[in-house]
Amino acid sequence: MSQATAPAAPPAPERPLPTPTRESQPYWDGLREGRFLLQHCSSCGKVRHYPRPVCSHCFSMESEFKEAPLGGSLHAWTVCHHPFNFFFKASAPYIVALVDMDAGVRVNAQLHGIPEAELKIGRRVKLGFEPVNKEVTLPVFVAE
Amino acid sequence: MVHPLRDKAAVSGIGETAYTRGTTKSGLALQLEASLKALDDAGIDPRDVDGVIPYFPGGAIAEDFIANLGLKDLTLSAFIPMGGATCVAAIQMAAMAVTTGVCKHVLISVGRTGYSGSRVSTRLQQFPVFAQAAEFELPIGMFAPAQLYAQGARRHMELYGTTARQFAEVAVVTRQHAILNGNVVMNKPLTVEDHHASRMISDPFRLFDCSLESDGGAAVIISATDRAKDLRKPLVTIAGVAEGHPDSPASIAQRPDILEFGLVKSAPRAYAMAGVGPKDIDVAEIYDCFTFTVIRQLEILGFCKAGEGGPFVMDGRIGLGGELPINTHGGLLSQGHVVGLNHVIELTRQLRGEAGRAQVKQAETGLVTGYGDMGDGSIAILRRAA
Repeated sequence: MSQATAPAAPPAPERPLPTPTRESQPYWDGLREGRFLLQHCSSCGKVRHYPRPVCSHCFSMESEFKEAPLGGSLHAWTVCHHPFNFFFKASAPYIVALVDMDAGVRVNAQLHGIPEAELKIGRRVKLGFEPVNKEVTLPVFVAE
Repeated sequence: MVHPLRDKAAVSGIGETAYTRGTTKSGLALQLEASLKALDDAGIDPRDVDGVIPYFPGGAIAEDFIANLGLKDLTLSAFIPMGGATCVAAIQMAAMAVTTGVCKHVLISVGRTGYSGSRVSTRLQQFPVFAQAAEFELPIGMFAPAQLYAQGARRHMELYGTTARQFAEVAVVTRQHAILNGNVVMNKPLTVEDHHASRMISDPFRLFDCSLESDGGAAVIISATDRAKDLRKPLVTIAGVAEGHPDSPASIAQRPDILEFGLVKSAPRAYAMAGVGPKDIDVAEIYDCFTFTVIRQLEILGFCKAGEGGPFVMDGRIGLGGELPINTHGGLLSQGHVVGLNHVIELTRQLRGEAGRAQVKQAETGLVTGYGDMGDGSIAILRRAA
């Protein structure tokens, strides 16, 4: 048998994962449970995203997370060809869609199952859930 | 009432290193080299600088300037973390400092090893404003400005019919100007075909829609007009200057209008301060991190209506001899990426009459913008003293 051994393959690049803050933890917990939770002001009721400590409309610091509808319409998109992070090299090109959620905020997520040629502003999509490990689930858009 | 800052401060010195891809110098050394050149240009003894605004994060802190230049009594030091809007916003702070007597001469410097040091994805993690993008967008494969700004460009194309051909025009004209300058990274002609054949980075941005990753340093000195008029070079005053921050400043995704930049707020203030409007501008150096970013800023600046920036850049309008020559040095797209301080330097040269083969005839009033950190926008209107 040959003594020559192939050089060890470099470790596969790791997916960049979110580091939740005290404010955003409930949002990520919700996604892990398959629920789309958004932060609402406890005082004036206004929804806000991304999660933060103060309601910029009434300045209340009290808030609660409530389940929100999953539908939305396409606001803008890009097709990422150059993977600025090594992890995404294998899956490029991929579409990242910015969606006006019916809940009144926007969400940016990868869009799966709709070809680039069919994208147009206002096209309906639905938020889905893509578990990436035991701790983290990311949002993903699919056809409604 | 005339604004108390109007024409009370001046750009008294300018300096820059060679713009390259590859250097053995540190970011600090590049800043100091450019700073010494700017001080020599102004005829100011380095020890008389009493205000320093280094680029953040650029490898240099105010203390480095005291240690290296022997500053005797530094009275102002600051970082302005506004990404590409930093340098022009720094002019506002410097103008306030020299007009009030807090400082005599404020040094604004940038040194970047954007090619030979850390590249864009790594560098951005040092910017506080990218924390939200790092949490919510990096995990879905979206973090670099080429990706974050691409969605707005796509929306502009869908809403207004803006085209890749129009993007290409910005790249091609900017390259023509770079070739005239000489101290540039990209010194070969670029055609529309070359642009269209370049690889897609993040649709709709192709490689030649994106600014350079390069190495280099730049510096300018801001002094009170009363002092600057006795210095070495022709007087170029700061007629108007302003910074602006968009709503939802750290997240483009959550911004009510993703095509709204901070320049929407700062441009009217700068025009009012200077007492001029778009029709008075002879030459414009527009922050060009991407071709589309130029097109949209031209709309916000009032050179054309919203949605008409694409057609505006065509037909020779933005080239030398055109109605509004822009980026006469080659910009970030072709000269080098020193966060737009090279735009301030070029505008100063134009107004002094020192722009060589790229000189705009009878350039008396010009503007320069900064854009960055998810859409902060700064602007300065400079003019040649009568």
